[in-house]
Amino acid sequence: MLTDFLPILVLFLVAAFIAVFVIVVSSLLGPRKSTARKLAPYESGMEPIGPAITRIPVKFYVVAMLFIVFDIEVVFFFPYALVFRELGVPGLIGFGVFFLVLIAGFIYEWKKGALKWE
Amino acid sequence: MTIVIQIIFALIAMLILGSALMMVLAKNVIHSALWLIASFFGVGALYLLLQAEFLAVVQVLVYVGAISILILFAIMLTRAADLAGETGRQWNNRWWLSLAVAGLLFGALIVPTVIGETWNVAPTEVAGAAAGQATGIAGAAELGRGFVYEYLLQFQVIGVLLLVALIGAIVIAYDETARRRRVLTLAEELELKKRQEAREAKEAKQSRKGKGEKPLPAPVPTDTLSKGNEGNEGNEGLVVR
Amino acid sequence: MEQIQIPPVDLAVVAPLITVVGWAIVLLLVDVFFVPAGQKRITGYLGIAGLVMAGAVAAPLWGSDSSTFGGMLVLDNFALALTWIFLLIGAISMVIALDYLPRQGIEQGEFYPLIMFAVSAMMLLGQSANLIVMFLGIELLSITLYILTGFAYPRLSSEEAAMKYLLLGAFAAGFFVYGIALIYGQTGTVQLFSTAPGQESLAEYLGRQTFAAVDLTLLLVGSGLVLVAFGFKVALVPFHMWTPDVYEGAPTPVTAFMSVGTKGAALAALLRLLDMALPSLQPIWLPVLATLAAVTMLLGNLGAIAQSNVKRMLAYSSIGHAGYLLLGVMTVSERGVQGFLFYLLAYSLTNLGAFAVLIALEQRGEAAWSLDDFAGLWQRQPFLALAMAVFMLSLAGVPPTAGFVGKFYVFMAAWEGGLGWLALVGMLTSAIAAFFYLRVIARMFMQEPVRDVQPQLFRGLTLGISIAAAGTLIFGILPTLLINVVQQTALAVGR
Repeated sequence: MLTDFLPILVLFLVAAFIAVFVIVVSSLLGPRKSTARKLAPYESGMEPIGPAITRIPVKFYVVAMLFIVFDIEVVFFFPYALVFRELGVPGLIGFGVFFLVLIAGFIYEWKKGALKWE
Repeated sequence: MTIVIQIIFALIAMLILGSALMMVLAKNVIHSALWLIASFFGVGALYLLLQAEFLAVVQVLVYVGAISILILFAIMLTRAADLAGETGRQWNNRWWLSLAVAGLLFGALIVPTVIGETWNVAPTEVAGAAAGQATGIAGAAELGRGFVYEYLLQFQVIGVLLLVALIGAIVIAYDETARRRRVLTLAEELELKKRQEAREAKEAKQSRKGKGEKPLPAPVPTDTLSKGNEGNEGNEGLVVR
Repeated sequence: MEQIQIPPVDLAVVAPLITVVGWAIVLLLVDVFFVPAGQKRITGYLGIAGLVMAGAVAAPLWGSDSSTFGGMLVLDNFALALTWIFLLIGAISMVIALDYLPRQGIEQGEFYPLIMFAVSAMMLLGQSANLIVMFLGIELLSITLYILTGFAYPRLSSEEAAMKYLLLGAFAAGFFVYGIALIYGQTGTVQLFSTAPGQESLAEYLGRQTFAAVDLTLLLVGSGLVLVAFGFKVALVPFHMWTPDVYEGAPTPVTAFMSVGTKGAALAALLRLLDMALPSLQPIWLPVLATLAAVTMLLGNLGAIAQSNVKRMLAYSSIGHAGYLLLGVMTVSERGVQGFLFYLLAYSLTNLGAFAVLIALEQRGEAAWSLDDFAGLWQRQPFLALAMAVFMLSLAGVPPTAGFVGKFYVFMAAWEGGLGWLALVGMLTSAIAAFFYLRVIARMFMQEPVRDVQPQLFRGLTLGISIAAAGTLIFGILPTLLINVVQQTALAVGR
């Protein structure tokens, strides 16, 4: 039932409250002396260079795309995991075929070298 | 109870619609993507409200977690990232036409859904709900059973669909020659940039000295970068500015 | 928890489909493991072999009338005829691509498995009796075609075409899903027609009650959205804007493949939806479709007149041909279904052949596709010129070619279905179309060469063109061969 999710709602409310509270309180109580060094973004002591938004190589995109494909595949396995005893052999066959198709894709991309970074 | 649910629904709906609107209106395309993520998240909350908790989790996992990253990557592949913040609103010349079409479509869709009394709930679901069985069709266990029995065909076709998408990603975006090309680290990239700036400054000085109209050499800093195959310069994304 | 009954999966129904998909997956791995770069045509041969084998697997199924997966997938003669047509389309596309890919420097082994996946998606569309399955079929087909359109990777026009196709195609997919949602919202089912007693379906739902149109708002709006999506895929006129750019930019064998395959598959699915699920709503959708068909025939052919690039001209003419095919779809009659199948086969052979001729004129980096390049082709390559003449005559609908019989068939179906005015529009536009088709022939035979074009013929290309030309002529001179076959298909659909 929906009431099962009441703790989540409470959690959201608490999180929202803390976020607002911390910001409001620190802006009320905290001292305000801003220097150039304080305003600079913190990058572990490194000198921050350029804008954060730069063009990136297409490789990242390939990796992200492959990630999504397998992400979705895994999502399909969650429901199976819940009922796999009940489903028995038909379930094994059904999900086995699905899995084999994607394993073929996995072997293909591996052999193709798309998983290598350099 | 229902009033609480309605309030929550109103909040979620406002979150979805507001962030969707902001996504369309944002000047910076990266901000658009971030607003889109907020909208995805709202849809996930809506699924939860509809008691489709598995779909809600999937929505967060796949859309908020993965698709949005892909969208950000896609934006950062393009030159739009370079222009971020400098571009104006994304109006095109015939925005009023789009507005009219969108308005008409919206009207055509929303009027029958609100006015029409013809929504039909499939008898099986009503029976299932009455018997107090699992949480409707969207329950995860129910889905697992469905994949093997009722929707076996669709499930397998989805597998093939995912395989094709995977092939597509590799065929289109993966360049086998790129395997030999190293991706520079941030520091190396900075080094290259500095070197190039120094050279540009030198050249600018030289041309100011009046050494004639020597044409500038192509601004390709090192051999690592110039080794692109024909016609796809600019596709590598590794442009040192 | 009660035990759910396992629906018996009738493997015979899916045998051709499984053959193609399974072969494609194996071929993908074989290609990446065993076929060395530069010899990818071996993959092509294997792919063609797989398609031929699927055709053989389908052969003993002729005459069956069964369904499986809870009635979501049906196997009747209509579906089987479509299956063979799609296999033929796939095989010819592969044959003409064998030499094209290496010559263009875009040879990658994935091309052939992808074509096979697309063929399987078309077969799925031809067999589906369920809106969700239909949607998945359309998506599988579209995604494959997006990839294939962008296959000529360094060439910008190919990338542009893929991008345009992807954006508009994704939009169309959204329409389809929303349409399905609304249809389901009203009827509670996405099954087109019942294959077992007691099964809920759209046809059942509509047959059970007598409605005024007002009560059907959701169903009607949903069907409208689905129709829009089909319009995008088939390139009916208000939704055709992408066609010329995409067809021109895509690698030529892919253009050939999708100009016939997508239209055939999507229209076959639409035919099942209209003729088997929504025939009782015909008074509502017939005027809409008739208008679409008329406008499509008119604008497609008028647009083609203005083109001097033959590939672009064929793209526009394929829009027009979608209109003719639609004539067979919208008359809920056996004649219409037969006409649709005949026209589809005739048009497929002809159009594949015409694009194959374009391949012969295309070299890396430059494509000699303007009308001037065709001038004097007769003196240089009599074979090419003759074949092109046959294809142009068939597209124009001049006897004794298959195109003529096909046009005759669909016009007759329209006439008998009480759409005399539409048949007249069809004849009128055919006359308009004859102008630009015959213009190509006139250039080839009656003019001296204007430019130095060196057509190149290879074995695969010659074979593809020969098959297409022979089919066009044989089915034009002896149409009864094919008519006897297609007449057996209508029964299953018209039940």
